[in-house]
Amino acid sequence: MEYRFSHLLKKPLRSSGTLEYRADGVLIRSVTSPYHEVTEVTGDEVRITRANKPARSFSLERAPQLRVLLGSFRALLDGHLTPLTRDFDVQLIEQAPRWTLTLEPKDARLAKQLARISVFGAEQRPQCLEALEPDGDGALTLLKDAPAKEDKLPARAEVEQACHASGAPLADAHH
Amino acid sequence: MSRRGWILLVTWILLLALGVFWVQSNLHVSADLRLFMPPPRTEQQRLLIQNIGESPASRLLVLAIEGDQPTRLAAISNQFSAALAKHAEFGFVANGGQAQPSIPEHLLPYRYLITDSFDQQPLDEARLESELADREADMASPAAGFLEEWLPRDPTLEVLHLVARWQPRAEPHHTDGAWFSADSKRALLLVETRAAAFDPDGQGTAIGILREEFARARGASPATLTVSGTGYFSSYIRDHTQNEATWIGTADTIGMIVMVWFAYRRFLFTVLGALPLATGGLAGLALVSALFDSVHGVTLAFGFTLIGVAQDYPMHLFSHLEPHEPPLHTARRVWPPLATGLASTSIAYLAFLVSGVIGLAQVACLTITGLLAAGLTTRYLLPRVVPPMKFDPSKSSRLQRLNQSIERLPRPFALFAIIPVVAAVVFFLRPEGFWQNNLSKLTPVPPDMLRTDVELRRELATPDLRYLLVASGASQDAVLAALEGMDAELARSVKEGAIGSFEHAAQYLPSAALQRQRQAALPDAARLRDMVTRAAAQSPFEDGLFEPFIKDVERARTLPPLTRADLADTPLALRLGSELFEREGRWYALISLYDVHDPRAVAALAQGHSGEVTFLDLKAASEELVAAQRSHIILCLEIAAVLLVSVIALALRKLSRVLRVLAPMLLTTLVILAVLRACDVSLSLFHLISLVLAAGLGLDYALFFEHASPEAAEQQRTLHALLVCSATTLWVFALLALSTVPILQAIGVTVSLGVVSNFVLALLLTRERTAAHG
Repeated sequence: MEYRFSHLLKKPLRSSGTLEYRADGVLIRSVTSPYHEVTEVTGDEVRITRANKPARSFSLERAPQLRVLLGSFRALLDGHLTPLTRDFDVQLIEQAPRWTLTLEPKDARLAKQLARISVFGAEQRPQCLEALEPDGDGALTLLKDAPAKEDKLPARAEVEQACHASGAPLADAHH
Repeated sequence: MSRRGWILLVTWILLLALGVFWVQSNLHVSADLRLFMPPPRTEQQRLLIQNIGESPASRLLVLAIEGDQPTRLAAISNQFSAALAKHAEFGFVANGGQAQPSIPEHLLPYRYLITDSFDQQPLDEARLESELADREADMASPAAGFLEEWLPRDPTLEVLHLVARWQPRAEPHHTDGAWFSADSKRALLLVETRAAAFDPDGQGTAIGILREEFARARGASPATLTVSGTGYFSSYIRDHTQNEATWIGTADTIGMIVMVWFAYRRFLFTVLGALPLATGGLAGLALVSALFDSVHGVTLAFGFTLIGVAQDYPMHLFSHLEPHEPPLHTARRVWPPLATGLASTSIAYLAFLVSGVIGLAQVACLTITGLLAAGLTTRYLLPRVVPPMKFDPSKSSRLQRLNQSIERLPRPFALFAIIPVVAAVVFFLRPEGFWQNNLSKLTPVPPDMLRTDVELRRELATPDLRYLLVASGASQDAVLAALEGMDAELARSVKEGAIGSFEHAAQYLPSAALQRQRQAALPDAARLRDMVTRAAAQSPFEDGLFEPFIKDVERARTLPPLTRADLADTPLALRLGSELFEREGRWYALISLYDVHDPRAVAALAQGHSGEVTFLDLKAASEELVAAQRSHIILCLEIAAVLLVSVIALALRKLSRVLRVLAPMLLTTLVILAVLRACDVSLSLFHLISLVLAAGLGLDYALFFEHASPEAAEQQRTLHALLVCSATTLWVFALLALSTVPILQAIGVTVSLGVVSNFVLALLLTRERTAAHG
């Protein structure tokens, strides 16, 4: 379940679907509600296909959230964070069995788009991804086995709380 | 030598030195093969000549960096391309690492006039609604990062649509922020040079910058840079040809000095023998530089041939010198056959002067002037600086023995019958590929470089080099309208798979009429605001978010149509410059094609718009041109042959003499053709030119043999002269035959064969038997 908050939007966007990280390193993000969309990340290329629309392809460079997500999956499997440390300042907080990974971009150009990404997880699985933009916009992706059926859109603070709770508590509320 | 003689000699050398100086400062060498193409006859051929070397596709250089880890290669690639972008020599540099190309701020409102999104379905509420729904989904997608900033201003994403349209080629495999080949071993870059493909100097400068910047970007890495492309090849050819010409020239000179010394045993003679040759060469070059703006490298190569022929003249003088005869008398004695040979060769080359091909006219000028200068200086100047001979160079006992054994040789007049029959058999057995139509066979570029080029081009999906569509019109706007008229059919061709995609100037700069049409279709501010409010009502977007959009559309409604001048400072300017131009009062536009699978379908497309649009198959057109040129030249040669025979007949007067002189030349021509065909060599223009030269040489030999009186000493002197001549000529052309440049090789092989055959045949058939000696 993904929530998107933006100053361009009157109300947050919510979409739900599945996230799959295949053995061959391909990440597939399928949105099933409220519309159908499949995002496939192969190597360096991101391809988004929506029903009745031509596919849109672009470089992974332009989608830092996906890059981090992919990076964190790989890190979990490989056991080290080196590919991520190249582009981000990484901070890992562990409070067994939960952990929180905080990344801040090193590249100035990327920092303009993205202030901070935090991955919250427990044991071997990430539970929530939070991407914050410098102007306060953000996207929160809750990775749960069975997405809860919610009728009304929760407030931002609620979603954030649910997200942070799935990982180790952050040292302090910064930025 | 007398004092007068020395003064004359010194003056002569000084004049030559001055000549060298003048020629060096006035000589411009060009490598444009178009100088050797005949004047175009059809529209296709005319466009071909205009476009070769200047189409956008030909100015692209493809670069590959390999030899290190992909991440390291990507970093080098990015640094390299950033450095290159700062140089004025390059139009655009692309390596996949660039952010989406941005449209300059002042051109942004024009996007509503340039885009074709609203042509089929105008901007209305339904459209806005569906776009907004898409944007909503986009906001939640990974693409949000870069779409978000455009949203308030451009909810229909026209900017992205345009940018995508301006890059029709499929992007190559993308890794670590740069383009890579499919196997990820090579980082790929595409660079557009400002210099035309056939400007080796400009290309050479650009390539020099490439290597410099690469060395800087590479740092300590072992990575290597491979450069490929039409421009690179022309620069390579120029350097390669120059290198070869230099070493061949040096070897020629050394060999000749050795041989001349061996023949005459006096060093002074070597120097003196070089003087008429130098005079001839300089005179030829001076005239050609004065008459033409630039001299083609191949013309200069024919300067070599001049060496082969003109150096014969002093040899004849030297060999005939008698110990107690003033050199002037000797000159007078040898003048008749020398003059006849000179006249007939010059006449044969006159045929090229009127052939209509600039390159050939240059060759003719150079050769005729050079020969005349060499011949006349041999006759009038050289004898005055030659010291009287102390001994007869031809009086060696070895030569005498040779003379006598040659005497004993039979006179195989049967050869008159045998050679033509053998030649006919060879021609019959190998009828295919008599003529070389393929211009690409004339290139000395090694085949593996060509293969790399094709590979890299395929990976980078660059426009097709062979097929092109050309639209023409009376004005720039007319031709743009013609392009727009083609759009529907071109789009259909893409759908049907005949071509991968296409690109033309009207995609960047629509005709004024179309722009105004689109302007009129745009809704006014009030109506648009109304539409937006209603469409956005259901969407999660903030109210009033799209004010910038409404403002931009309103601006677009009142803008004057976009003109070419507005695009002057953008990267599009270079592209437009080569795709849209004026020639002789008419405007032309090129339609670049990508991935042409079915050229006939494209040709059919053009036929539907005949008069406005022409389909160019560069390869077929160039082959047609070559074939047409050839028939023209053969006609010229036939006329030359008739003139030549008349000159000979006039000089010799007796039919039997004429026949004896012409026989070796005619038979040699057959021999050369037969040998070339037997070795499966297809004849090109340069073979033809060399045949003329070989015939001229043959005539020289035959004339001298014929002229010599039956007296033994005289015969021996003639033999000496011709041995030296043919040995030195053979040396020059045999070295040329070893060249890897196809043109030089063609000349070398043909003339070497000619020299040997002519000499042997002249010896056997033309030489009179001496009065019987003991």
